[in-house]
Amino acid sequence: MVGAGLLVLAGCSGGGSAPVANPLVTVTGATQLRLGTPQQFTATITNSSATALTWQVNGITGGTATTGTITSAGLYTPPAMIPTSNAVTITAIVGATVPFQGSVSASILNPIPVVTSAQATQSVIGTSYALDILGTGFLPTSQVQVGGSTAAATYVSSTELMCTITVAAGLTTVPVVVTNPDPGTMTVSSNAQVLTVKVSVQTAARLLDQATFGPTLNDINHVQLVGTTAYLTEQFAAPTTVLPDIATPTPAICLNNTIPCEQSEWWQAVLTGNDQLRQRVAFALSEIFVVSTNSVNARSVTTYHNTLANDAFGNFYTLLQDVTLSPAMGNYLNMLNSYKPGNGQIANENYARELMQLFTTGIYLLNSDGTQQLDGSGNPIPVYTETQVQAFARAFTGWTYAPIGAATSKFTNPANYTAPMIAIDSAHDMTAKVLLTGTTLPSGQTSTTDLSGALGNLFNHPNVGPFICKQLIQHMVASNPSPAYVARVAAVFANDGTGKRGNMRAVITAMLTDVDARAADTSPNFDGGHLREPMLYIANVMRALNFTNKDAVAGNDVVALASYNTVGNYTSGLGQRPYSSGSVFNFFSPEYVIPGTKVNAPEFGQENTATAVLRLTLANTLVYNGISNFNVDLSKTSALGIMASKTGNATTDSGNLVDALGVMFMHGQMPSQMRSVIVSHIATLTDPAMRVRVATYLVITSSFYKVEH
Amino acid sequence: MGVNRRSFIKYASLAAAGNAAGLRPFGALNSLAQGATDYKALVCVFLYGGNDSNNTLVPFDTTGYGSYSTIRGPLALPQSGLIQLAKAPNFSLNGNMPEIAALFDNNAAALVANVGTLVAPTTKAQYQTSGTVVPTNLFSHSDQQLEWQNAAKSGETQTGWAGRIADTISTSYNPNGLVPMITSVAGDTLFCNGAASTPVSVSPGNLGGSSCNEGATECAAQQATAQALLQFDSGLSLVQQDNTITKNAYSYAKTLSDAVQSITPITTVFPSANGLAAQLKQIAQIIQVRAALGVTRQIFFCGVGNFDTHSDQVNLQGNLLAAISPALNAFYQSTKELGVSDKVTTFTMSDFSRTFQPNSNTGSDHAWGAHHIVMGGAVKGGQLYGKFPTLALGGPDDSGTNGRWVPSTGSVQYAATLAQWFGVAPSQMSAIFPNIASFGANPYLGFV
Repeated sequence: MVGAGLLVLAGCSGGGSAPVANPLVTVTGATQLRLGTPQQFTATITNSSATALTWQVNGITGGTATTGTITSAGLYTPPAMIPTSNAVTITAIVGATVPFQGSVSASILNPIPVVTSAQATQSVIGTSYALDILGTGFLPTSQVQVGGSTAAATYVSSTELMCTITVAAGLTTVPVVVTNPDPGTMTVSSNAQVLTVKVSVQTAARLLDQATFGPTLNDINHVQLVGTTAYLTEQFAAPTTVLPDIATPTPAICLNNTIPCEQSEWWQAVLTGNDQLRQRVAFALSEIFVVSTNSVNARSVTTYHNTLANDAFGNFYTLLQDVTLSPAMGNYLNMLNSYKPGNGQIANENYARELMQLFTTGIYLLNSDGTQQLDGSGNPIPVYTETQVQAFARAFTGWTYAPIGAATSKFTNPANYTAPMIAIDSAHDMTAKVLLTGTTLPSGQTSTTDLSGALGNLFNHPNVGPFICKQLIQHMVASNPSPAYVARVAAVFANDGTGKRGNMRAVITAMLTDVDARAADTSPNFDGGHLREPMLYIANVMRALNFTNKDAVAGNDVVALASYNTVGNYTSGLGQRPYSSGSVFNFFSPEYVIPGTKVNAPEFGQENTATAVLRLTLANTLVYNGISNFNVDLSKTSALGIMASKTGNATTDSGNLVDALGVMFMHGQMPSQMRSVIVSHIATLTDPAMRVRVATYLVITSSFYKVEH
Repeated sequence: MGVNRRSFIKYASLAAAGNAAGLRPFGALNSLAQGATDYKALVCVFLYGGNDSNNTLVPFDTTGYGSYSTIRGPLALPQSGLIQLAKAPNFSLNGNMPEIAALFDNNAAALVANVGTLVAPTTKAQYQTSGTVVPTNLFSHSDQQLEWQNAAKSGETQTGWAGRIADTISTSYNPNGLVPMITSVAGDTLFCNGAASTPVSVSPGNLGGSSCNEGATECAAQQATAQALLQFDSGLSLVQQDNTITKNAYSYAKTLSDAVQSITPITTVFPSANGLAAQLKQIAQIIQVRAALGVTRQIFFCGVGNFDTHSDQVNLQGNLLAAISPALNAFYQSTKELGVSDKVTTFTMSDFSRTFQPNSNTGSDHAWGAHHIVMGGAVKGGQLYGKFPTLALGGPDDSGTNGRWVPSTGSVQYAATLAQWFGVAPSQMSAIFPNIASFGANPYLGFV
């Protein structure tokens, strides 16, 4: 074609004039074109003053998707894949009176692979490693060799390849070679760093069961890699997932009742928040410092939850003060608008009494290990008298809602659900008050001074450490902590090592890293743990199985739609919804003893022959993808479904599936007897999805799962 | 007029005493001998939070109402809104309780005045003397709830009085029982727990077994495997405990759902959107199928909360009483429909009553002795039992100065009176109520 063109040009310029040199255009550029790498071509024109250029690929101006495209400036972009014939001709045509052109031939070749990093990470399930290769120029047909043997590679993208490999013990790197095939075969060598996990599956998953709203495989993997201490450090630093104030005007879905909006925000935070430890501690605190939307406005509860979450890792005194002045607690236990008693009246004792009984000291004097002190006759010794309750009640008078905007403050102010309460000293009882341990608040003090005096009196009471620490342990680790365990954590409450009292971060670290908390990592028969209460149970299962919210997936406004609220519909029959305890005594008592036994097990206060049946139904709903407004994939094409049918050998596949569930739900500690019963049951099923559902149901309805241990 | 009120109560008490002294023990023995041929049920309605008795049962005579309204100040109910009791005209019920007032006047309900937790009969002077043994942690919700339920000196006693009744007599009365003697429709509570016996818990309206979507064959197989997993001894205490509860749950759910399969629905209309009514309706349905359950004695527990009215009391308590009064009445009517109204005795319990003196926040605070309602065809209704307190701050019945009445009747007496009717023999009383001997040879109140 090029020759023909030249012939035409020669013919036209023939004639009687003196011969002049033919105009020429010479095309230069690479003759090997690599997929994924653009190539600049250049045209050099001689014997002509013309400059207008048109570029063609295989004779088509601008090229095509199949053969590659070329810009008017000669920049060639290869096609996505090698065309049937990988030879192309790049032509430049000069638009003169008599056009002329030049060409060059080139071949399209596979890209040159480049490895920028490679990492082999020990898998959560099984003994294999996941090799992750990052770089450029990867193809679906790229081949990977690890340590000289071919490894089946999964093509993720042109910048990522993944393989499952085995790594000999003790290796810190393994050689990795990536080869792109013909045409233009090219090889790159690199070394993959081997990341050996720092802690076992058992340790990672148990820690997450205690410290979060439920382990996920990703989180287990992460904790294994970074280790316990680094994980806690990350979590202490994680910013609070803040529940937004319920919008004004009220979202349509909550027009008649704002509680669904508030509860939806809570479920969203605990199911999806990255600040899992903070949210879990806030949950424990919310079951100690109880408020309930049974009698307080839900708008005040989002604020209250943020207070607990923000203060979860701070100082206990700050927490106590913020709780005390929160409009939610003020409303719930009537410190709000509690006026100095007039003639014939007493001060409202509600907050004063429960602050002592439930939030700080408890009823009886405690030893530092949480056991009761006894008097000479063997009887427990009360911390406070009725007179002291009334003294604290008077100390807490004079507080009302914060004024809204620039409004003038008065006693009482209109509702303000988001700002801390404020003091109006004219409503405060200024007589002297005799508090605990011989402390007296002198007469004439302001509301604020009396408040800090009263809170300081309680904060410094020696009961607080053992009383609060034991309950935190019960909520997060074990119903029956040994007195020595309580004592060790309470000692950190008393002094964090720098002389500070009430350092919650130090307390939480001590609690979760204590030898008793970690004992069952390596000794599964260590007798501890606690029953998963209904809200934890559903959150744990939903996180493990990766339930997704349909509105969230669709990109809808989940806050305005209260999209996560549906979850609570499945726990309310079991006696729980977020922030809706029947009384300040929480859904269950920390002192609850299982009937007919001496076993202290708080959460069993809600476990009985009625709720046990309801939990079975809930498990069925969960595995049958029946949680309204959520989706879970347990089909045969899901990860578990594939595992359940991969080899075609019913026993092998069932065993692999149950082992995976054992990691997801039982820290890899499923008893072998249990494993074999479930495996033989599901091996009789032929539908992989049914295998997954039934196996999951059997795991999550077992007492061995219901009791987190 | 105060004298009149007193003498009325005295009369009622004497009548009760006379009755109990002679006939009750033999009655109890006879019923025990009858074994499984008759039927009796006790129904406990627990008012969580401490119902303010002072605004539930109010003096109506001029002097009585006058001193009431003076001291109660902002909490005093207007006399015009109270319902005067025809059978006890010096008294009235809160205006939100017309159904209970009618039951009282029709002799189907009685009131028991100033009952509270006591270890032994206790006077104000004794209470104020150091060294007198009184119940532990008076005025604490949790402790007083437990002490009402366990009829013991402290909440640390781990069995409830109903549970101990079941421990003692369920073999005699329910030898063929397919479910425990005690049913709770309001979760597990100390009241229901014995040393050996545990209750069946029922979620109102959810009597049956669990749901399963896998199809009949696989559901049956799945359930069999799930139950097999409960048999393993993991050696972990809490896992073992949950295995036991879950095993019982499978068994009771099957028994109950089989029993109610083909019953005629009760036609008595229960108030809707009323938590207590839903619980009582479930209890009525279980009573209806008592024969299929193989029981001749049953104790039921239900409860309703939010009585802790430290503020906005008149409004809050009014709403609560307006809900429980029609619920209780509907339940009584349903027992008539089932032909068992004289075999079912319903009674209230609560943490405590509230301070007669108001607080500065339109509410009242935790107190002690309280008035309670007993309802049923067997109840000697239309009467007030016990001794109504003198409504004076710092007066003869005030434990201090805020109107926390020292109970004139022990809650253990109240419980034992119910137990006696239920069929507990005199010889069995001390095992169930260890403190009962402190209340004399005849501790019973005679209201049923």
